[in-house]
Amino acid sequence: MSTLLPETKPEKGAWSALKEMPSNVWSSIFRNPLPSTDLERASTSFTNFFLHIHPVKVHKNTLRPIYTMGLGLISLFLFFILVATGILLMFYYVPSTTQAYDRMLDLRGTVAFGIFLRNMHRWSAHGMVAIVFLHMCRVFLTGAYKKPREFNWVLGVLLLLVTLFLSFTGYLLPWDQLAFWAITVGSSIAGYAPLIGQQMKFVLLGDTTVGQEALLRFYVLHVAVLPSVLVLLIAIHFWRIRKDGGLSRPEQPQCETAVVKMTLEPAKKKVYGLQGFVRGPFTKVGNVPDDSVYAWPNLLLAELFVFVLTVSLILLVSLAFNAPLEEPVNVMHPPNPAKAPWYFLGLQEMVSYSAFWGGIGIPGLMVALLLIVPYIDRGTKGVGRWFAKERLLANTIFLTLVILNVIFIIIGTFFRGPNWAFVSPF
Amino acid sequence: MRLALAIASFVVLIVHGVVFYDQFFYRWERHQTAYFEQARSLSKNERERAELDARSPRIEQTIVTSFGDTRVDRCTTCHIASDDPRFAGHAQPLKSHPYSAAMGDVQRNGRWERRHKFSDFGCTVCHDGQGRGLETKYSHGEDEFWPEPLTGYVTQATWRKDFAAKLKGNTYMEANCAQCHTAEDFAGTPSVNRGRKLFYAMNCYGCHKIDGMSEGTLGPDLTEAGKKFKIDYLWESIVEPRANLASSFMPKFNLAERDVRALVVFLKSRRGVNFAETSLDRYKAHVENVAVVIPPGTAGEKAGEQLITDRACTACHKLGDRDGGIAPDLSYEGLIRDNLWLMDHFTNPRSRVPDSIMPTFRFPGEDFERITAYLGTLKTPPPAMPPADTYKTLCARCHGEKGDGEGKVAWYLDPAPRDLTKVGFMNSKPRERFVASIQEGVAGTSMPSWKNALKPEQVNGVLSYVLTTFTKEPSREIKPHNVPDQNPVASSATSIQHGEAIFLERCTGCHGRKADGKGPNSLDITPKPRNLRNAAFVASVNDRRLFDGILYGVQGTAMPSWIDYGLSKNDVGDIVNFIRSINQKKGSQQNAGQ
Repeated sequence: MSTLLPETKPEKGAWSALKEMPSNVWSSIFRNPLPSTDLERASTSFTNFFLHIHPVKVHKNTLRPIYTMGLGLISLFLFFILVATGILLMFYYVPSTTQAYDRMLDLRGTVAFGIFLRNMHRWSAHGMVAIVFLHMCRVFLTGAYKKPREFNWVLGVLLLLVTLFLSFTGYLLPWDQLAFWAITVGSSIAGYAPLIGQQMKFVLLGDTTVGQEALLRFYVLHVAVLPSVLVLLIAIHFWRIRKDGGLSRPEQPQCETAVVKMTLEPAKKKVYGLQGFVRGPFTKVGNVPDDSVYAWPNLLLAELFVFVLTVSLILLVSLAFNAPLEEPVNVMHPPNPAKAPWYFLGLQEMVSYSAFWGGIGIPGLMVALLLIVPYIDRGTKGVGRWFAKERLLANTIFLTLVILNVIFIIIGTFFRGPNWAFVSPF
Repeated sequence: MRLALAIASFVVLIVHGVVFYDQFFYRWERHQTAYFEQARSLSKNERERAELDARSPRIEQTIVTSFGDTRVDRCTTCHIASDDPRFAGHAQPLKSHPYSAAMGDVQRNGRWERRHKFSDFGCTVCHDGQGRGLETKYSHGEDEFWPEPLTGYVTQATWRKDFAAKLKGNTYMEANCAQCHTAEDFAGTPSVNRGRKLFYAMNCYGCHKIDGMSEGTLGPDLTEAGKKFKIDYLWESIVEPRANLASSFMPKFNLAERDVRALVVFLKSRRGVNFAETSLDRYKAHVENVAVVIPPGTAGEKAGEQLITDRACTACHKLGDRDGGIAPDLSYEGLIRDNLWLMDHFTNPRSRVPDSIMPTFRFPGEDFERITAYLGTLKTPPPAMPPADTYKTLCARCHGEKGDGEGKVAWYLDPAPRDLTKVGFMNSKPRERFVASIQEGVAGTSMPSWKNALKPEQVNGVLSYVLTTFTKEPSREIKPHNVPDQNPVASSATSIQHGEAIFLERCTGCHGRKADGKGPNSLDITPKPRNLRNAAFVASVNDRRLFDGILYGVQGTAMPSWIDYGLSKNDVGDIVNFIRSINQKKGSQQNAGQ
């Protein structure tokens, strides 16, 4: 059983086997005891399936709360909450126009923890959209998308899009007035795309209007297709973090000499295994003078803290605020104004000025710009610092666009009344 | 870091505790436990006591499939004593539902038997509310989003405070009774019956459609009003028509509170297909235009005058000091319209003013005759007064205080009243034409003939007042155009065909493909292009004016001078023939028929 501990010899029979069983089972699962030396700390990380995603050592900069603000981790944990609550909600939900709303009422009234699950799912979804967006802002403003992390940035942008689409598809499922009209508005915006707009809308809705087909399609996308895509993209995103040498950090010249020394010396003596051919910066083990610390327990504790914080926040919010449930769908009686989900209200606001440019042109350009930005901005200066002086131009352009978008969302959310006329919320 | 972690973990723990408490300790369990205890103490029967002892709280529900969509009513989870007569004196929710002979409940051997058994009907069929809810707020529909809050008991927080109190009372439940008891004189639904009568009496049917009852098209279709709207919306829409839609021109009827309530209950009972009919019945009602039969109103000496009040004419029209603010002034009707015109206009308003929005009311003939007779007696001409006052009294209601054609009722008139400040038009026309318009009226429009009400010098005075105050600029001497008095082109099939071809090519942008004045450009044009299908108007205009208007344009309007665009006199002759032909068709057919 425990092959790592040679001193435990098989002894007198069944009784002692039974007695040692708990510790044997434990050590068979977690091959290491709680680590007390650096070697053990290292092996804790790479012998555990769930921990081996971590490097053995991480740079101190990675652990600075002010640097990452844990936004990527929060997104991940929100996704975990969403998966957990979402699966539980699936046990009660029926994607049928005649039953969906009744199921919502059942969740609210009869199902144990029903309303609470729905609240958690709803608020985590909104939170995830916001946090993923903030995560992107963090990465941009610290210049973390620069070489060699260009492709990971592209993956991140894709992740943001998938997150938005996931949230959007989930919006329809309660089948109340809010859902129905928000999706009607949202899918109409998609219909403004040139040439393929109407076809795209038709494929998405399975009909010319939002109805049973749309509900079923949105459901399948929401619970099967998009989560799978998201999980795959997240996996690649994380794998790339490791392969790109961990999180970005300010360049440190004295460290580089150490790396060079280290890579050159063994090259003369040692015969490489297959792994030796893997190119790129690799993790350093040993007494190399650098600013890294062991992942166990430093990184792990930080992650745990972010996790607990995220969960407790979501729990508190879910306890305090109920997810909205409006009237059952009434196709003949649209609310005035009918508004898209808040994260698309910036689009809707722009659509109110120009259908094509607001709904497709500008957002399309923005996404395209985001996707190619690491291949345009090739400077290597200012990586790993917030608002680096060297990146003044890029940061200004980015922040302007972000603030514009936020302003549009705020106008769309709070300042638009019946017939999309300007109203004051005060 | 570790301390923060510990604190955060503690929060998670606490929140879990709160969530568990929140999710597992239901109010309804307490109600049920209280019921079991009290029922046990009230019970004199040993077996029943044992049964009560054995019962533990659970969700009670009735599934009702006989009335529309399947309903799941869990009301009896809290109202568990609803069918237990021993609890008649208890407080809610443990009060038993009252028995009532009026509801059809009967007493047999000292025990009441319900006509409407809860096991068959559930609760929400009569009471509304959310059957699936288990919390008071949701099950009674107190949250603003539930479309059918407990009728007559619950008002939602978003309802207007000034009349929310009037929306309580079991009267409103009659709307639900009427889903099965559809007889028009069913004794159990007096308010619905009264509301139905008011729907006819107050002329609602003239503008609103209810499948099988009426076919008005001016206002929203009310066939499913009860399904779409809550009672607060209905009340508000009747009492204050513009509260929801600022552009609504529904008159304020100033009904008594009792009548408003009856109408609200009646409208709440309109839900498309009701329980008493099949969708086929509904379809038949939809297809057959059920003729509305309105019983004749008061007869006798002052019948006409009384009818004006009874039929709510002044909800739109002005008569004396009552003014609905939507339709023309009737105060001098005997002077400005003759009885034939009035009767024609009553039976079909669009026979005299083709674009009138006045509904075709289905009063019996004798009512119309009486009203006509009364209106014919309104022959007191306005007293002699300065032209400015005459203008204010007679003209300003349509043409506006400032003469800009934006009078109080102008929005509802089609064609719109002339904008008297439009210099280009006003100073290019000879004075005789304006005098004729005032004295003879303009056929096919709301402009009546004033010659019996105003002496010629009064007409001249008003005209001078208008020209000096509003138009301001003196009349231009227009060189007489070379246009024929009579259309030189004889009307023939080829001529009309050619005229139509030119019309479709040149004129439809403004006058529309149907020549009804509603072409795509008409939206941006004031004054609006003429409706060339207004037969009465077209007949009143001579060939000379048509030729002049088409060839040389109409100054002060968007009508260009077509001679500059290459139309010859023969072309115009063809167009005139075409216009005449589309307005004569009906008449000639009638003649052919006779």
